[in-house]
Amino acid sequence: MALNFKQETFRDDYSYSNSAHAIRRFPFPFAEDQYMYSVNIEPHTKGEPGSVYEFPFDIDEHYVAECLDKEITLMQDPGRYHALPHMMDAQWDFLELTMTALANDYPEHFSLSRNGQTWTWDNKPLGVCDTFTFGDSSTLVREPFDYIGRQVQGDFVLLDQRDGTLYADAGIVTSQADWSLAFNVGMSWKEWHGPVPRATEIGVMDRALKYLLNLQLANPVRRLNWTMTVNPRLDTSPENYPYWGGDRNKVNTDNVGDLVNLRVELQSLFRLPRSNAIVFSIRCYLMSLKDVTSYPRWAKRLHRVQKTMHPDLIEYKGMTKFHPIVVDWLSKFDDGAELGIGTHPE
Amino acid sequence: MNMIDVKVAAIKQVTPLIKHFTFVKEDGSELPSFSGGSHIVVALDADGRTYRNPYSLMGSPTETDAYHISVRRQENSRGGSAFMHENVSVGMTLKITHPVNLFTLAKMAHKHILIAGGIGITPFMSQIEDLKRLGVEYELHYAFRSYAQAAFVDELKKSCGSSLYCYGDSDGERLDMQGLLSWQPLGTHVYVCGPSPMVVSVIETARNLGWPEHSIHNEQFLSPPVGEPFKVQLAKSEIEVEVPAEMSMLEAIEAAGVKAEYLCRGGVCGRCELGVLEHDGGLEHHDHFLTESEKASCRKIMPCVSRSKGKRLLLDL
Amino acid sequence: MERGYWIKSKPVYTSLVWHEKATSHLVLATGIGGMAVLKLFQQMHPRQPVTVLYARYAQMDADYSETLKKVVPENLYIFKFEEALLASLKEILPDTRMGLRLYVAGSEGFIWDVAGVAKQFGIDDAEIMKELTDTLARSVYCVHCKSVTRNVTTNIVPCCGCERMLFVRDHFSRNLGAYMGLMVDAESPGELPAIEEIYP
Repeated sequence: MALNFKQETFRDDYSYSNSAHAIRRFPFPFAEDQYMYSVNIEPHTKGEPGSVYEFPFDIDEHYVAECLDKEITLMQDPGRYHALPHMMDAQWDFLELTMTALANDYPEHFSLSRNGQTWTWDNKPLGVCDTFTFGDSSTLVREPFDYIGRQVQGDFVLLDQRDGTLYADAGIVTSQADWSLAFNVGMSWKEWHGPVPRATEIGVMDRALKYLLNLQLANPVRRLNWTMTVNPRLDTSPENYPYWGGDRNKVNTDNVGDLVNLRVELQSLFRLPRSNAIVFSIRCYLMSLKDVTSYPRWAKRLHRVQKTMHPDLIEYKGMTKFHPIVVDWLSKFDDGAELGIGTHPE
Repeated sequence: MNMIDVKVAAIKQVTPLIKHFTFVKEDGSELPSFSGGSHIVVALDADGRTYRNPYSLMGSPTETDAYHISVRRQENSRGGSAFMHENVSVGMTLKITHPVNLFTLAKMAHKHILIAGGIGITPFMSQIEDLKRLGVEYELHYAFRSYAQAAFVDELKKSCGSSLYCYGDSDGERLDMQGLLSWQPLGTHVYVCGPSPMVVSVIETARNLGWPEHSIHNEQFLSPPVGEPFKVQLAKSEIEVEVPAEMSMLEAIEAAGVKAEYLCRGGVCGRCELGVLEHDGGLEHHDHFLTESEKASCRKIMPCVSRSKGKRLLLDL
Repeated sequence: MERGYWIKSKPVYTSLVWHEKATSHLVLATGIGGMAVLKLFQQMHPRQPVTVLYARYAQMDADYSETLKKVVPENLYIFKFEEALLASLKEILPDTRMGLRLYVAGSEGFIWDVAGVAKQFGIDDAEIMKELTDTLARSVYCVHCKSVTRNVTTNIVPCCGCERMLFVRDHFSRNLGAYMGLMVDAESPGELPAIEEIYP
């Protein structure tokens, strides 16, 4: 089924919106009334047709607009892409993984033809068509990871595995929830997750690391993470914090439903074959609180989760200023009815 | 775990004790790419049980039309290597896992010293292909009993040229470990795969010379040792499993139909770790994964290679 | 700060102790860090060759060069400033071999400058023994304009590049050798918390 790509923006006038279809397939992350940080990793296996889990890399109606936003961010700040020299094998691994998946899963929009090492990549929605030699960076306009990273929704970090840990040694990061690639590049797993509160104490990060070190080819895994963002802004980077931080003051009882967005990251991890590196894919989904209330079950669940949230986590996720307004607004939608376990909308 | 169906395309007797097997996909399609030092686990059904043995992938990681492994017939084999030698024939189909790499090259090293003893040469066969492709400085030091019994010497000479150093024990050629490791430039990493005394010797020599831990790498797959029989009770599955002398605990658990996690099946990766709830007489740890204090606590065990010293274990599975 | 809350990216520094196993030792120090070198030689004179590079001037004035000359038997090189010491380090490292152990004593800025040089020769910072002497002053990386402001002793500091007021976070990048600085008043322009000297 061909996708209908929307024209919209993730900055300035924020014309981004979700269709009814996009709302229904939104990866709502709360299966229970209480939230606590946990490993919550599961196999990234094929999900139901139409769901965000149908394919390894989800392409949706926001694809073209999101890639355009990515271009703007990278043009303004080339430091959002960084790859240490020893990651070149991993770069080609990443290119192969994503091109193969997109061409296979969305044949109306993408095609890849391979003739030995000579590959031709045709990206119809973005109007890109290039022939290059696999393994030879000089035949592409940019480094392979940079080249294809711009043509897939989401952020990507390539993790090198050595000395019993993982190092974030390359990344293309333009839609992050407040962390800096330029600052974090080259960090080990523990350094990178240094600022996560509480979680480290209960050993969540150690367990997740142990699990990922044994991640196998052809057996990717995924988890959901979430936060809330004022305005549907992809680039909530620390780099540009001076430009978006002030938006947190703008939330009030009248506009909270439109202004505050539930921001869900579908994080998936794939072992790469030639480099033995891991690609950490962070795919961001945004939905206004008003859209969340399209489904009463989600509105009730979100209210309960937010009401019982630990203050440290509220602070860590940068929601302190507007969180009480969110809880108060959501309370109107919660009649206290029992919901049962599960993230389904109805 | 996703397994791959392969067909045995060729078998070659390399030395009196070593056979080289070539596997291809049944439908002729390509196998997954892999990185130098990777291994696969080959599943074999024989005598009413399933053997799962890890073997290093040889050959170039970029040539994926076939996988290559070499199997040395082990004395006192519990069946795996003997079965590979006697019962596997061209045209047979087998199941293998996707490649796993627990013996990776350090990508940031400035120079690599590879030290192989006997059949320990196999993981280096794919690593040298990666090193050559990347144009990194390396030396391969290959020690064996005699030139007559050594596998792949001619092949290696051709592919490594002056980077290959051979040591035939019967010709009185010895590798001077101390000399080799005392005069390496900063940023060198050393890798060893071979018989246990050799591995220990390389590690000890490098440590004593002040090489940092992270620059010393070894692969030492263990075959599950033969031991005394014992009983395992599985707390969650609520069943009891007999572990015979020549079977590993993991194999016995699998044979009883209980799904258990595993990856390397050689005591290295830690994936099959199980909690020990009760024991009567201690644990016989053979793995390289648990720390000494974890081993002493008797609360965790690697069922792929470790056993009970007593008659009975209660596991959290 | 919350008690028991420890940011794991923040380096841990120790007192210098000789590595028992080594083929040679290279000790680097500035200013008051000379005392750490003297303490090392109090432990023992190692059997293996030792080289000491010392720069006299650092943040805190404390010149140990005369005492070092008496204690360090040979291969002591004294410089005026850190820059000359680092230049000399770059010349020494290509001729050294695996088994060399590195020891550094000085300010955090100096320690990570040394680690940066060593990295080019394949030495991981985890292999270097580091003692923080001298000042606690931090290098601060401005996440907005990417400038590094050095010798920061306060919780909040104006960026030397973009002049924004930066809050000095406890998040450290070994790659940059600096702590993260984040605009402190982005959400409420002009409202600054009290500026205090906490890294003297």
